[in-house]
Amino acid sequence: MKRKQFIFILVFIGIALTLSACAGAANTATSWPGLTVDDQYAYVAYNTQVYAVDLENGSERWRYPAETDNNITFYSDPALTDDGQLIVGSYDSNLYSLTAETGMQNWVFPDAENRYIASTLVDNGSIFAPAADENLYSLDPDGRLLWTFTSAGESWAKPITDNDCNCLFLPSMDHTVYAIDPQDGTEKWRSEELGGAIVGTPAFDNNGVLYVGTFGGKLFALNAENGAIIWEFSTQDNGWIWSGPTISDGVLYFGDLNGNFYAVEAANGIQKWQRSPEKDKEEIVGSPLVIDENIYFTNNHGFLYKFDSSGKKIWEVNVDPANGKGKIYTSPKTSNGLILVAPIQIDELLVAYNEEGTKKWEFIPAGN
Amino acid sequence: MEILSQAWSTLILDPMINSLIWIYSGLGENFGLAIIVFTILVRLITYPLTASQIKSTRGMQEMQKSKKWQDIQKKHKGDREKLAQEQMKLYKEMGVSPFGSCLPTLIQFPIIIGLYQAIIRSLAVTPIQLLELTRHLYPFYNAAALIPLNNYFLWLDLSQPEKDYGIEIAGFTIPILAILVVGTTFLQSRLMTPPSTTGDQGANMSRAMNLYMPLFMGYLAYSFPSGLALYFVTSNLVGILQYGIMGRLDWRNLIPSRFSSDKKKE
Repeated sequence: MKRKQFIFILVFIGIALTLSACAGAANTATSWPGLTVDDQYAYVAYNTQVYAVDLENGSERWRYPAETDNNITFYSDPALTDDGQLIVGSYDSNLYSLTAETGMQNWVFPDAENRYIASTLVDNGSIFAPAADENLYSLDPDGRLLWTFTSAGESWAKPITDNDCNCLFLPSMDHTVYAIDPQDGTEKWRSEELGGAIVGTPAFDNNGVLYVGTFGGKLFALNAENGAIIWEFSTQDNGWIWSGPTISDGVLYFGDLNGNFYAVEAANGIQKWQRSPEKDKEEIVGSPLVIDENIYFTNNHGFLYKFDSSGKKIWEVNVDPANGKGKIYTSPKTSNGLILVAPIQIDELLVAYNEEGTKKWEFIPAGN
Repeated sequence: MEILSQAWSTLILDPMINSLIWIYSGLGENFGLAIIVFTILVRLITYPLTASQIKSTRGMQEMQKSKKWQDIQKKHKGDREKLAQEQMKLYKEMGVSPFGSCLPTLIQFPIIIGLYQAIIRSLAVTPIQLLELTRHLYPFYNAAALIPLNNYFLWLDLSQPEKDYGIEIAGFTIPILAILVVGTTFLQSRLMTPPSTTGDQGANMSRAMNLYMPLFMGYLAYSFPSGLALYFVTSNLVGILQYGIMGRLDWRNLIPSRFSSDKKKE
C-alpha cells in the first residue's frame, strides 16, 4: 500500500514538474536584449542585469545590479539623458535611473502596476516611460511624476516626439496610435483602428507624416496633425510587422514575420523592392539600421545582412556560424564604425562587426 | 526530439490554440468564456474515454469484491507470481481490462498539458510569448485583429497566478478560484468514488486520492495562471454533471464514513 501511495505521489510530482517546465523557470528570459549606444559604451539590458560594454574591445565596464536578483529583469533599450543618466524599465514594474558612467543607482520610480516592456523616451529633459499597465508616465530628470496618460491598451513600443506639432506619439497594443501633448499629457487625437497591434516605434519624417507598422500586415502613413490615414501598404501574405520602419532618403525599410524585407516609398507607399533573404522565411523582428546608403537588418536565424539601397545583398554573417543556434531580435545599433547585434540563445550577449562584416569582438558576460 | 516537438505542436497545441482563439472571437472576445466553452467541448469529445474509464473502474471494483478473488488471494497468499497469473485469468473471465481505468486517464494527460500550454501561449504577456504565439496561428482567419487577447474575466487576470493579484481581505490574499478548485475536485472525487469496504486496497487508494488530489489541484490553481484554474473548475463541474447524467453519482460518499456506517448498522 505504501508503495502505491509513493508511486501516486511521484506521479503528482511529475505532473507538477511538467507544468512548471511549461511555465518556464523564474529567471528564464521572456524577451530579447535592449541595446543602446553612445560613443564610448554599449548598454545592454538583458534578463537580470544591465551591462555597460566598452566599444573599444568589448570588455565589461560595469553591471547593475552587482548582485543578481531574479525578481528584477530588464529587456528594454536603456535611454540616455543629457545629464548622464541611463533610464531603464524593469519587469518588476520599476523604472530605474543609473549613472551611465558608473552604473550606480540614482532613483527608482515605482508607480507602474505592470512591467516595462517598451523602451523609454528621453526628450527635452523629460522622461516618457510607457508601461504594460496601459499608462504612459512622464517624469522629470529626478524621477518625479509630471503626468500620467492612460490608453486603452498596453504599450510595448517606445513613443516618439515631433516638436513641430508639439506631439508625442504613442503606439499601442489596442491597434491605435495616440497623439499626446508632451507638456501635460492631454490627448490630441487618436488614430482609427489600424487592424492589428502596434509594437514597433513609428518612423517620422519632416513632412509631418508618421509611419506605423501593424500586426495586421500593413504599414500606414498617418497625418501627424490629425491621425488621418494618408496611404497604406500591405505586406505579402499579410506578414505581421513587429518593429517600426526606418526612414532614409524618403524610403521606408522594414521586415515582417514571414521573413520578407521591404523598401517602400514614403511619399506614396509604393514598393521599391522586396527581398526574402532566406528560403525558410525566418522572422525579421528588429528594425533595420541605415548607415549612408546601406541597410543592415537581422533575423530569427542569427543572420546580420547588409543590403544597398537598390536591394542588392552586399554580405551576410551569422552570429553563431558553428552551430546556427543564435537568434537576433534586437534592432542592430551603430557607433564608432561598428555594427552591434545582441543575439539570444548563445553565450555571446553582444557582437561587434565592422562595416565589412568582420567580427571585431564579442561580449560574453562573466559568470554566465 | 525536434520531430516530437513538431508533432506535439501540429497535433495538439496548434489546434487547441486556434480553437481557443476562434471561440474567443465568437464569444465577444471574452477569454474566460472561451476557456469554459472549450473545456466543455474537450470533455464532450473525450466522453467515450471517460465512460470507458468508469466502466473499467467499476469492473475492477466488482472483481476485487468478488468471493472468487478473495479465495484466490487466500490460496496464493505467499506466491506473488501465481497470484498475478490468477488475477489476469480472472480479469479475462470477468471481461475487465486492467489498463481500462488508467489508460483513459493517461490519454487525457496530454490533453491537460496541451490545454495548459494553449491557454498560457494564447495570453502571451511577454514579447517572446507573443512571437511564439504567432508561429502557432493558422493563416485562414484574421488572428491579428484579435491580438492581444483580453485576459480579464470577472475578477480574474487569466494570465497571472491568483497569488499575485487575488482579492485582499484584512491584508490577506484570498485565492477564491484556488478554493473553488479544491472544493470542486474534492466534490468530484467524493461523488464519483463508490463506497468500499474498510481495509480493502481500493478504499485506501481512494482515500489517498480524495485527500491529495484536491490539495494538489489547489496548489496548481494557486501557483499557475488563473486560466488553468478556470479550466479545472469547469472540468470538475462538467465531470460531475456527466457522471450525474450517467446515474453514477454516489451521494452517500458526501456523508462522513463513520456516520454512514452507523446508519448502515441501524
